[in-house]
This record gives sequence, structure tokens and C-alpha cells, in this order.
Amino acid sequence: MGNTNERPITMLQTATILVSTLIGVGVLPLPLFAVRAADSAAPFVTMLGIGFASISLLLLTWLGIRFPKETIFEYSNRIIGKWLGTVGTLLVILFFAILTSLAAREFGEVVVTSVLKSTPVEVTVIVMLVLAAISTRKPLTLFAYMHNFYFPWLLVPVVLISILSLNNAEIVNLQPIIWSHPQKVFIGTLTIAALFQGSFVITVIIPSMRKPQKAMRASIIGILIAGGLYLVIVSASVGVFGAEEIKKLLWPTLELAKATSLPANVLERLDAAFLAVWVTAVFTTLLSSYFLTLYALKQLFKMQDHRVFSFILLPFVFFMAMLPQNVTHLYGVIEDVGRIGLVITTAYPAVLALLAFVRKKRGESDG
Amino acid sequence: MDRRGLLARLRLLAAALLLTPLLSGCWDRLEIDERAVVLGVSIDEATEGDERESEISHVKGSLPPPKHGLVKVGVQIALPGRIPLGPGEGGGGTDPSQTLWVIHVVGHSIDDAFMNLQQQVSSKLFFGHLRIIAVSEAVARKGMENINDYFRRNSEVRRMAWLMVTKGKASSLMTAAPKLERIPTLFLMSTLDNSIRMGKFPKDFIGIYWSNSSKKGQEGFLPYVILKDEQNVEISGLAYFRSEKMVGSTKPMEVAGYLGLKGVNPAGYRAVVMLDEDDPDSAVMTNVTHRQSKIKLSLKDGMPHFHIQVELEANLEEKLSEHLAINDPSVIQQIERKQSETSVKFYQNIIKQTQAKGSDIFGFGEQIRSKKPAYWSREIGTKEKWQEMYKETTFDVEVVVKIRRIGMKAT
Repeated sequence: MGNTNERPITMLQTATILVSTLIGVGVLPLPLFAVRAADSAAPFVTMLGIGFASISLLLLTWLGIRFPKETIFEYSNRIIGKWLGTVGTLLVILFFAILTSLAAREFGEVVVTSVLKSTPVEVTVIVMLVLAAISTRKPLTLFAYMHNFYFPWLLVPVVLISILSLNNAEIVNLQPIIWSHPQKVFIGTLTIAALFQGSFVITVIIPSMRKPQKAMRASIIGILIAGGLYLVIVSASVGVFGAEEIKKLLWPTLELAKATSLPANVLERLDAAFLAVWVTAVFTTLLSSYFLTLYALKQLFKMQDHRVFSFILLPFVFFMAMLPQNVTHLYGVIEDVGRIGLVITTAYPAVLALLAFVRKKRGESDG
Repeated sequence: MDRRGLLARLRLLAAALLLTPLLSGCWDRLEIDERAVVLGVSIDEATEGDERESEISHVKGSLPPPKHGLVKVGVQIALPGRIPLGPGEGGGGTDPSQTLWVIHVVGHSIDDAFMNLQQQVSSKLFFGHLRIIAVSEAVARKGMENINDYFRRNSEVRRMAWLMVTKGKASSLMTAAPKLERIPTLFLMSTLDNSIRMGKFPKDFIGIYWSNSSKKGQEGFLPYVILKDEQNVEISGLAYFRSEKMVGSTKPMEVAGYLGLKGVNPAGYRAVVMLDEDDPDSAVMTNVTHRQSKIKLSLKDGMPHFHIQVELEANLEEKLSEHLAINDPSVIQQIERKQSETSVKFYQNIIKQTQAKGSDIFGFGEQIRSKKPAYWSREIGTKEKWQEMYKETTFDVEVVVKIRRIGMKAT
């Protein structure tokens, strides 16, 4: 790798990795999930989801700071024993492999429905996966640079579209801001929190951070920016369309881009521009979850390099991506898998953190 | 040495192979001249005389057609290369038959009709530039479900297109030849866009209509247009809906009522004010320049009650006789008072008219849903319930008219 510095990643880089990981495919159906849970109180549910998601992220960061030289796949062995730790690692590998495949498939479905109608969905999916697989063969430093590079390209257009669309928004659509079905809200909160699971990637970054103590700040910045963006998207779409109309749209965010035009009709619809940006957003998300899976595999088998697995994993991920039968089925699977995954991404770190705290285990701090 | 050379060559070959997907182009390549760009669509009920359709997306026996009644769909396809881009080109080619191709087909549903059409047109139909969808009143009164569903599902259609209801046949709008623009649909579009700018019509693109008609406490409405003798198009009111069915239409002036009640700016309607009903000489015309409205919701005996305050700023534009002295402030006050009085009646009439049909195009129900959510979920809750309740809702209208300017004449 040729890098003499073993801990090259800065606090800001960590934050950008988090943001560009969190903004991904989930952005398109997000308003639909939120509105199904609470109608006009969708922004509130989104906030609950963000709150829930930050618990998981903050727990992981806390653990990472406590064990600054190890990833969750290493310190879990020390906290709950080798056997249980291995089981945990296996679950994480399985879950993120599935998450990668579902994200790739969701991407493929959007593309085949709205842009490239005669390109087979398999081709779109495999192109994206191969791209991710090739990119994950690079060391962590380059992984961080890639996220860094794409970060502004994700942020600016989404913010722009949301601000421009506020022109057509009506406050009445966002009222009342309270909800009436606690059970639906609870499920919706989980569904939205599940969109934030990519933040798990923080666990492999902290051991390479120049100053692991600053990881907490990076996490907070990351979740605030990504969460803020989610919130803006939900509020803008509900404000423009109204809750009932969103229930009739499969990808409200894309529809929002379609309904928004640049001032003076420079561009009458922004969906093409938005999709171009969104492809990079999906790529960075896929990159992170794929990378995380590889890294976990590497540490499971105690290998030196994670590159070996990048192409071995590819056929499995692709195969899983092709399993859902249709779009409706796909979204059913995504919602279920996402909520079940919270056990792995939230409950598991919570147990680890609790035990680490009770047993007073901590990693060797940086010398 | 030899082996290394071979390896290098193999590598080169592999690299060249990587380029092939780039050279072969895109799966979805569709050159612009292979597209049939649809600019406008009209939807009518099929009548007796219409040609019998062939069985293209259904076959008698095995794949029976839906029993929904036939629709007659007309499309306006732009002829590639024929549409002059600048004003100088083409030399007065105002005849739309040179730039456009209008075809009519019959089908059991919108998609069926388009497929019948596709069977007759070599190029692939492309809806990305679709600007106008005209629906005849008869179809709108039967219900818009099929139309809304098809165009919402289609990813090419923009939410900024115009959907409109025509009095009489919608297909005549496709063949109309207005003099101002070379393409009839563009003329229609600019008519509507300009009327928004002049304050004569609310923003009501297809996307807004969809959103409004989805809402529980609001109904959708569409522009109601009539083709006149000179091939020009008159926006002659709002066609208002109840759920997916058109239930009535307003008069052109009543669009101003809608705009006033909603406080939409800029304002642009003129109104006749008669200071004395029996004296024809006492009439003046005012031009409303600015509207503002406040809607206050309260509950009276368990029923929603709205108090609507409308403030209009107006200019005096003309008077019909010399014996009114406009330079007298008391006369202006008199005009203001008179216009306020008549406006109250005018606004109330419009509300009553929509109430009779149970079609709340103003979104009063949305006000209840958002401001009094507990009451809404206890008493109303569904769209159907609100449609009934709207009929019994009470309204108070208060109008304040302020005349600011009188033009260049002193009296």
C-alpha cells in the first residue's frame, strides 16, 4: 500500500464518509415510508427515525473509541468470547451482503422503470456491483478519498431541489404535525432508522483514524448532515404533494425532482439531473456496505488483505439481488430486512457496549 | 521474450475488448428521428360512427377487452424537421397540417388506444414533451380514474403538463389552427401560462390537480375551455370534480372568485360596479390588482364554520358616463363600499355552487384537517364524509375593497 502513516484518516473525512454512505437508494422511497407511518406528521417520524439511528451510530462510536485499535469484529471476541463474537461477525457479514444486494437491485429497478427502459435490470445491477467491487480493492485511504470527492456532488443538488421545490409547498400539507397511530409510527420509525444502517461502516474507520477520540464528533456531524438532508427531503415532498398524493407515488423524491424546475425555465424538470447525482449516491452507499462486508470477511479469516474477497463475493451478492420477484416484493423485503437488521446494527452493539462497560474491558489506548 | 510479447498482445486484446460495449452504444438508444414526439392528446368518448378498432391488445375469446366503454384518443405528433425554430424560418407556415400530424384512434382504455396507435405509427411514441391533455366534458363526467392512472404511471409525462376539460369534442382542439403560434398545443399552453401571469387563472398543472384531488379535504379542478369560431380558445371557467368525476363548471368570471377566496396574486380581473342598480350611467369598471385572504376556522354547534376575509386592492379603469365625479373621495368610498357588497354576494354564490355539488375545490376541508386534527379524525376522517359535510358547512365572507389609483384622468 505504500502508506507509511498507519492512521491517515481525519475527522472530517470520517464525517463525509458517513454522510455519503447514508445518502443512498433509500432517499427515493423515503417520503413514502414516512407518510405511510404518519401522514402529514411525516417529518416528525423521520426525526424519530434519525434519533433511533443515531443511537446505533453513537454506540458504535463509543465502542470504537474504547477500543481505538480494533474493529467490532475484533473487540467482540474479547467482550463476548470467541464463539459468540464469530457468530456476530458472521451475522454482520450476511446482513451487509444482503443490504448491498438489495440496494443494487433497488437501483436497478429505478433505472429500468424511469430511464433505461429496455436495458435489462441484470445489466444495470451487475455494472453497479462490478464498479463497487473494483473500487473496494483499494486501501482504506482511497476509500475515504472517494467518499470525499463525491460528497459535494451529493449534497448540493439535493439541497437545491428541496429549496427550489419549496416554492410550490403549502404549509397546510405539513399540518397537523402530530400523529394518531402510535403503532404505525413505531414501525415507520424503524423503517426509516433502517435506512441509516450504512453508518455501521464507522467501525472499520475508527482504527485508521488519526485521532480516534474525535470519532464522536465525526459521527455527530455525519448524522446531523445526513439526517438533516433526509428531513428536508421529506418536508419538501410532503409540503409540495401532500400526504395523500405521496401514498400514490412509488418514488416521491424522484417525482419531486420532476415537478421542480430551475428558475427562468433553464431546466424544466430536474429529474434527469437528479438521477445523475443519485447514481453517485448509490455508488458510494454500495461501496461502503460492500467494503464493510469485505473487511469483516478479512478479519473473520484473519487475512492481511481484504481484496481477495472482492470478486468472490460478487456472484453471491448478484444472485441475492436477483431473488425478489417484482418491485412490490422487493420493497416488502427491503422493509422487513431493514427492520430485522436493526437487531444486528443496534441491539448487538448495545449488548457489546453494556458488557464492555460492566466488565470494564477496554482496548489499549494509543501510545 | 516471446512469451512476454504474447502476453503483452493478449493484454492489448483484452483492453480492446473492454472498449466494445462503449462502441456498440446504448441499449436504449433511440434517435430523435425514430421518436414520434407527442405534443398533445385529446380524449373523447367514442361514438357510433367511429371506426371499429382492430384487436391489438386484446383478442376476442382468450383476452377479452375491458367493459368500460370505448374512448377515442387523438394525438398530435410533431413532424421531425418541420417545426420552424425561429420566427424567420419557414415563411408563414401557419398551417399546422405541415408541422403536425393528428391521428385519432379508438380503444377500450387509454393504453389500449395508444397501442392501437403505435400499431399504425412506425416510430416509438414519446411522451416526454407532452404538454396538453384535453379531455371532453363527457369523459370527465364519467370519471378520470383511467386517465389519471395511466399518466401518473408513465414516467415520461411531466407534472407541469396541462390537463383540461373541453366543452364539446376534445379532438377539435387537436386540429385547431390558431394564428399566433405554429403549433396549436403550444398556443394553448401559452394561453394558460399567460393567464397565470395576468392573474386570470390559478396554477393548475396536472401535478397540482393530482395532488388536490388526492387530498382528503379538497377536490381537484381543471381549466374548462371552449374552442371558438376563430380557432381561438377561451378559458371559460373551472371544471370542478368530486373525487374522480367532474360535477360542474363555473363561469369565467367565477375563476376570479376562486382566486380571490384563495388570495392568489397577481390579480387581474375587471369588475363592473353599479353604484345605483337602476341607473345605467352609474357603472364603473375596476381592475383588481392585489388580493389577500384570511380564512378563519371555528366550530359552531359541532359544525365547522369559516370566516373568510378578503382584501382587494383595485384601480379604477373606466366609467360609463361623465356625471360621476371620481375626484371626490366620497364617491370613491361609495364605489369601494358597493364593490365590497357585491363581492360578498359573488363569493358566497361560488361557495354555494360548489357546496351544492359537494366539491370543495378551495380546500376548506384541508384547513379543518390541519388546524383541528382531533375534530377531523373524530367527525370526518374520510374524503367521502367531507364531501357530505361540506354541503352543510357555513361560511361568512367579508370583503374590503380599496381603490388606490384612477389612471391618467383626473376626474
